[in-house]
Amino acid sequence: MTALALPHGVWRREALTEVKRSLRLPQFLLPTVLTPAGFYGLFTLALPHDPAPGFAAATLAGYGVFAATGPALFGFGAGVAVEREQGLIELKRVSPMPAGAYVAAKLTAAVAMTALALVLIDALSIVAGVRLPLATWALLTLLHLASAVPFALIGFGMGMRMSAKGAVAVANALFLGCSVLGGLWIPSRLLPGWMQSIGAWTPSYHLGQLARLIVGADTIGSPWMHAAAILAMTVAGAAWAWTGWRRSPA
Amino acid sequence: MIDDLAAVARLSGVSKRLGGRAVLDRLDLTIRAGEVTALLGPNGAGKTTSVALLTGRLAPDAGTAQLFGLDPRRPAARRRLGVMLQSAGLPDVLTIRELVTLHAGYYPDPRPIDEVLALAGIADLADRRCGALSGGQARRVQYALAICGRADLLVLDEPTAAMDRGSARTLWGTVRALADDGAAVLLTSHDLAEADALADRVLVMDAGRIVADDTPAALRARAGGSVLRCRTTLIPAAAALLPAVRDAEMEGADLRIVSADAATTVRTLLDADPALTALRIADATLEDAIATLLAPVQERIAA
Repeated sequence: MTALALPHGVWRREALTEVKRSLRLPQFLLPTVLTPAGFYGLFTLALPHDPAPGFAAATLAGYGVFAATGPALFGFGAGVAVEREQGLIELKRVSPMPAGAYVAAKLTAAVAMTALALVLIDALSIVAGVRLPLATWALLTLLHLASAVPFALIGFGMGMRMSAKGAVAVANALFLGCSVLGGLWIPSRLLPGWMQSIGAWTPSYHLGQLARLIVGADTIGSPWMHAAAILAMTVAGAAWAWTGWRRSPA
Repeated sequence: MIDDLAAVARLSGVSKRLGGRAVLDRLDLTIRAGEVTALLGPNGAGKTTSVALLTGRLAPDAGTAQLFGLDPRRPAARRRLGVMLQSAGLPDVLTIRELVTLHAGYYPDPRPIDEVLALAGIADLADRRCGALSGGQARRVQYALAICGRADLLVLDEPTAAMDRGSARTLWGTVRALADDGAAVLLTSHDLAEADALADRVLVMDAGRIVADDTPAALRARAGGSVLRCRTTLIPAAAALLPAVRDAEMEGADLRIVSADAATTVRTLLDADPALTALRIADATLEDAIATLLAPVQERIAA
């Protein structure tokens, strides 16, 4: 009943406004969109070995996940913490806007920024000679976009609990830490054992392995295990996010 | 029973502890349609917490909070509520028009945007980004957000803080008009002149309870009518024994006396201290009335 009585288009307008806000914040947009593409270009195209398409495709799998973690962690983690400190969440909370519309709008913006970053990376990969069947591209893109979800939930829980400064620091640490340990930059099998062991606790590792499976690169472990791990981390992230929203009165 | 029909929001027997401290203590409070209710009291009295409970940001530990008969934490209950919070910020990269349009869209029957902007006195700023506003302008945007949905209850937390007197008076005029049209208004303010000018009813809070609930005129009358200030060697305890004196205390170098009948008090006061100087007599203000109301409670806390 509540949902039916809602004025038409609340969720859509909230999401469009949030995307518009993200586009008006170049200091947020440029680093999160350009960093993954810059790194991908550097390691795949600019470094000495010939841009072997197989290598470029396997690397693309990992960097696409990396591209999704930035907007999710910074938009939700740092962004939500800043908005909480500025009293913006207070403004939303006393309005009739359903809490879900706020979260959905932030997620839409994070996915939209991820899509921008992916366009750049995918274009670079084509330059590097990567040729994949259309269905593979579609599946890979879908996985890359979905990668934003667990990180967005983790970030949201952080944003509701931490100060803006703290959240930025933690978002940075997770952005880089998860990507290195999860094997998104250097494939996990080339990492020292201890790094692999820690990496197994990051969503990046499991998402990266699934992405490598899609492009036909070598993987570690069973895809079902990775899917189950991601599902479990997403559920845990949702609980962390929900309790964060409930606990914080300001 | 007539009260119940007009009630739009209510706290019943509400207790709330925050940070290990009892902020509200079995508080009962009713907000009625067509009335401007001012919620006054010293810092820490529980005003902010009461507003947070009524607007769904906090849940009571005991008792119930109701907004239009529903739990205020349900968005459906807040669809008839407009809020102007002191602590709330504005998204800096959106323009005023974009922000007001977004907020108006949360309500089932919003006011036209241009009407909202005109009522809040920000029509000429509509395309300005919220990050580029002065404190007073930002408050007017907050006010626009509160009224954009034709809410049946307006909660205004320190509405005119950071506003110049002219803007404040304009805002009072529109608030008065909305209340006359049948809206309920809950106002908190440190500016007692504002409460006196605007409120039909004043609730005075102290230590988590309502200590007075009356019209501003009745409260002023209760305070005794006149305030006397003078330089004297009399101590407050002695002055308090003089006829018609309600309250006496030092105010800087002055002795401040609240009197029910200034003439009677002055006659005996001059006899009690022939060397008395600098005698001034003024009508009791709402501030005096509230100071008198709160005095016994403060003494109890000090004791």
